Amino acid sequence: MTHPILHLFLAAAPAGGVAADKHMLEQLGFSWQHLLSQMIVFILVAWALKRFAFDPTIEMLEARREKIRESMANAEKIKKELAEAEAMRKEIVAKANDQAAKIVAEAHAAAEAQGEKKLQEAIAEAEHMIAKAKEAIELDRQKMKADLKAEIASLVVKTTAAVAAKVLTPDDQRRLNSATEAQLASKN
Amino acid sequence: MKISREARQHAKQIYRACHAGGQLDAERLRKAVQALIAQKPRHYIPILERIRKLLELETHARTVRIESAVPLPDQGQSVIDQLARQYGPAMATDISVLPELIGGMRISRGSDVWDGTVLGRLNQLRLSLTAAETA
Repeated sequence: MTHPILHLFLAAAPAGGVAADKHMLEQLGFSWQHLLSQMIVFILVAWALKRFAFDPTIEMLEARREKIRESMANAEKIKKELAEAEAMRKEIVAKANDQAAKIVAEAHAAAEAQGEKKLQEAIAEAEHMIAKAKEAIELDRQKMKADLKAEIASLVVKTTAAVAAKVLTPDDQRRLNSATEAQLASKN
Repeated sequence: MKISREARQHAKQIYRACHAGGQLDAERLRKAVQALIAQKPRHYIPILERIRKLLELETHARTVRIESAVPLPDQGQSVIDQLARQYGPAMATDISVLPELIGGMRISRGSDVWDGTVLGRLNQLRLSLTAAETA
C-alpha cells in the first residue's frame, strides 16, 4: 500500500515541465503569499520572542550565573577567611597559653623570691632584736656593776672616814698639815 | 651687759694705772672711780662695769682660803706667809675649821688648790674606784 502523496507524485511525473511543477505545488496547497506571510510572521515572532523572552531570560540567567559565581567566590573567600581566622585563633590561643604559662612561671619565681626575701628579713630582724637585747642586757649589767662598785666605794669611804675621824691624833693632824705645807712649798 | 672693745680697753688702762709695784692701790682705784662718776665720759658705765669685773677677778685670784679639820696653831699665818713669798700678798684671807674634812687642810688661792685633807684623799679614792669600774 503506498502513500497518497506518493500517488500524486507518481501521477504527475509523466506530464513534466514547469507548468507541471506549478500545478503540482498548487495541488499540494503551496502559496508564495502564504509562505511569505508565514515567514514574516515567523520572523516577527522570532524577533519578539528574542526581544522580550529569550534575551531577558538569558540575561536573567546570566545574572543569576554571575550571582552564583560571585556567591561561590564569596563562599570560597569566606571559607578561606574562616580558615585563616581559625588558624589565627589557634595561633592566638597558643600564644595566650605560652604567655599564661610564662606568667605563671614568673609568678612562681616571684613568689619564691618574695618568700625568700621575707625569710631573710625576718632572720635579719630577729638577729637585730637579739643584738639589741644583748646590748641592753650588757648595758644593764654594766650599770648594775657600776652602781654596785659606787655603792661599795661609798661604803668604803664612809667607813674609812668614820674610822679615821676616831683614830686621828693631834700628831697625825699636825703631820697631815705639814705634808700639805710641804706640797705647797714644792709647788715652786 | 655687752661692753664695747673701746670701753674694755679704757677700763683696762685705768685699772692698770691703779696699781703700784704690782699691787692694787685701793685709794687710787677709789679716786679713779669717783672721777669717772663725776666727769661721766663717753661709755663710763660700761667702763665702770668692766673695772668692777677686773677687781672681782683679781680679788678672787688673790684671796687665800685655808680650811682645816682642826684649828691651826698659828691661825694659818705660816701658810699665808709662804703664799705671800711665792705669789705676793693676798688681798683677803679666809680661814675656817671644817671637821668634816676629817684630817689635814685644804689651801686655795684663786684657781690653785692644795688639798691634803683625808676627805679629799677619800674622794680621790672614790673617783678612782668609780673610774676603774667604768673603764
